[in-house]
Amino acid sequence: MKTLLTAVSALALSTSLAYSATEIRYMMWGDPPEIAVWQQLVADFEKANPDISVKVEVTDWDSYWEKLRVQTIGGDAPDVFAMDAPIYPDWQSRGTLLNLQPYLDANPDTLKGVYEGPLKAYRLADGFYGLPRDFQTIAMFYNKDMFDAAGLAYPDASWTLDDLKSAAAKLTIDKDGDGTTDQWGISTEVWDMEPFWGPVVTAFGGKIISDDFKTTLMDKGKALDAWNFITGMVRDDHSIMSDEELDSYGYDGFIANVAAMTFSGHWVIPAYNEATFNWGVAPFPKGPARRATLVNSAGIVIGANTAHPDEAWKFVSYVLSEEGQSTLSALGFAIPVRESVATSPVYLQQKSRGDHKLFVDALDYAIPKPSFRGYEEWSAAVGDPLSLVWTGEMSLEEALDEIAATADDTLPN
Amino acid sequence: MSEAGIRAKGRERIWIGILLFPTLLGLAVGALGSIAATFGLSFFDWDMFTPPQLVGLQNYVDLLSDRKFKKALFNSIAFSAMYVPATVILSLLVAVLLNRHVYGKSLFRLLFFLPVVTSPTAVGLVWSWIYSKDQGLLNSILGAMGMDPVYWLGSKMALYSVVVVNVWGAIGEGMIIFLAGLQAIPRDVYEASMLDGAGPVKQFFYITIPLLIPSIFFQTILSTINAFQAFDYIYILTKTAGGGSTVPTLVFNLYREGFNFFRMGNASAQAVVLAAMIMVLTLIYSHLQKKWGQ
Repeated sequence: MKTLLTAVSALALSTSLAYSATEIRYMMWGDPPEIAVWQQLVADFEKANPDISVKVEVTDWDSYWEKLRVQTIGGDAPDVFAMDAPIYPDWQSRGTLLNLQPYLDANPDTLKGVYEGPLKAYRLADGFYGLPRDFQTIAMFYNKDMFDAAGLAYPDASWTLDDLKSAAAKLTIDKDGDGTTDQWGISTEVWDMEPFWGPVVTAFGGKIISDDFKTTLMDKGKALDAWNFITGMVRDDHSIMSDEELDSYGYDGFIANVAAMTFSGHWVIPAYNEATFNWGVAPFPKGPARRATLVNSAGIVIGANTAHPDEAWKFVSYVLSEEGQSTLSALGFAIPVRESVATSPVYLQQKSRGDHKLFVDALDYAIPKPSFRGYEEWSAAVGDPLSLVWTGEMSLEEALDEIAATADDTLPN
Repeated sequence: MSEAGIRAKGRERIWIGILLFPTLLGLAVGALGSIAATFGLSFFDWDMFTPPQLVGLQNYVDLLSDRKFKKALFNSIAFSAMYVPATVILSLLVAVLLNRHVYGKSLFRLLFFLPVVTSPTAVGLVWSWIYSKDQGLLNSILGAMGMDPVYWLGSKMALYSVVVVNVWGAIGEGMIIFLAGLQAIPRDVYEASMLDGAGPVKQFFYITIPLLIPSIFFQTILSTINAFQAFDYIYILTKTAGGGSTVPTLVFNLYREGFNFFRMGNASAQAVVLAAMIMVLTLIYSHLQKKWGQ
């Protein structure tokens, strides 16, 4: 009898506790080291808001979208979840995201001091359906040891794309003379526009897509010079690692110490900090028309059908606050969206190696990674033919013809 | 053949009904339900999030000018044209060889059947290593013979490479069907032909093949269905960086259309076309079997 009473009172106690704190679910993609930092952020948030508890769920990039899709279709979407800017318009157009404008109108200071570049991607005609959580610009990483061995000067802000091409060719070496390459000039992904081809096309004076997102432009005009330049590096110089070569080195030849240069965002710094070789960072090299890089930002959004919109908003605004952004920048992966944090010692003097200021300064010459409805299908229509050019199975002209014939059909705008 | 079966009587029939009910219910809801849903969805535009919108035959009309669909259709037909004859002929040969008194017969049967029961994902990874351009087994052999490496899984060779893997994976199943067929042929037919002076080759063409016609037709139909539905090895071996494939087949294409690009209506229409093609081919086969099988 006594045990039963204890059990009942314990049950009553626990339910009253459960009722006192509203639980919201936050889902994001990420790696194990990121979980720890987010849990720190959540702990700080819960201390300031004892009536809300946040459950963080982390999955890897590929299964994240699968999981999010299934949960959203099943009516069980997380209250708050992470978003990628390019596909944000698609998610918004399907009615899955809550319009945050009423909250922003009630708290007009929320966005004060947030960089315009990342913010722009989330601003739609009738308001914000999500906010940037952090941002990324692409810079060049180089292996100092390989440059020393080849007797080449380190890349700096004066570098042009021609300097890049000739250095990459010199750094592509068959060390043991067995007829196969053992060291490449560049390890980068050429399928996605973000790390390499987007900046190069822009640097040559070309455009990726029209401002109204109705016409593909990466296959026309000045962009053609960029494609001839890239094709020369891939097919003639073999200085950019092929997809299969990348595959055998865990998709990053730079950290595998077989490629002298790579183009990547700040997100690789925690991993590169563990590298056994010496490396440095330089801005993306200048092209004939200008210097360019892409800026993309991960966002945070609230599910359209959440039962706790107010609590979810509190969490989102905490993530964007100076305190939240400071905690996140300690992570070392991304760059804080709030200027006061991105220019503070918390970010600039983090313990990882590298010139962290360079990534923030890149905003001066960065263009936003395009974000529009139909993004995924469009990238496939553009990327699939090009990947056949890189493997040598299609000529550049054929691929561009194919893109011209198919890419615009994928744009529903 | 049906006359030879045992027929249920009286109360047995009720029990058969009761015992079959769970399976039939699963079939009705799972298989027939999803077939009906696919057919229905093919007349709608649906992105899985917003309510479906009726578009009539538009999805089918769009297929006529859909370059990706046409390419996938071509790939699937080319795949089947190689896969079906290769599977039927090779599994028949293996079955005939293993139906004799060979040393280690059971072991060989086991080895040929093994791919059928292993996970395509795991085996696919092994094959991707065999086919790999730089570190692959095949290219190392070619290299040792002084030949240039071949991009086995690139868009020029991938079709042939995946046909080889799929045939290899299907021989075991065909072998079982043909072994059953072979063992149903009475021994005295062979003995009688031997007395008449027929050698093994003549026996094969004049006794084995004609008596195996039902099994051959059955295996051909099964292989055709499998050929048009082939997905797992193709997905694992030919998937490219952006989620495409170096040889997108019908099922690969409709998977990407539906689950990556959220065009469920379009994907359903492709699935219906695929089902219709398989049905027509099956009808043609059974017509031919009636004509020649007697």
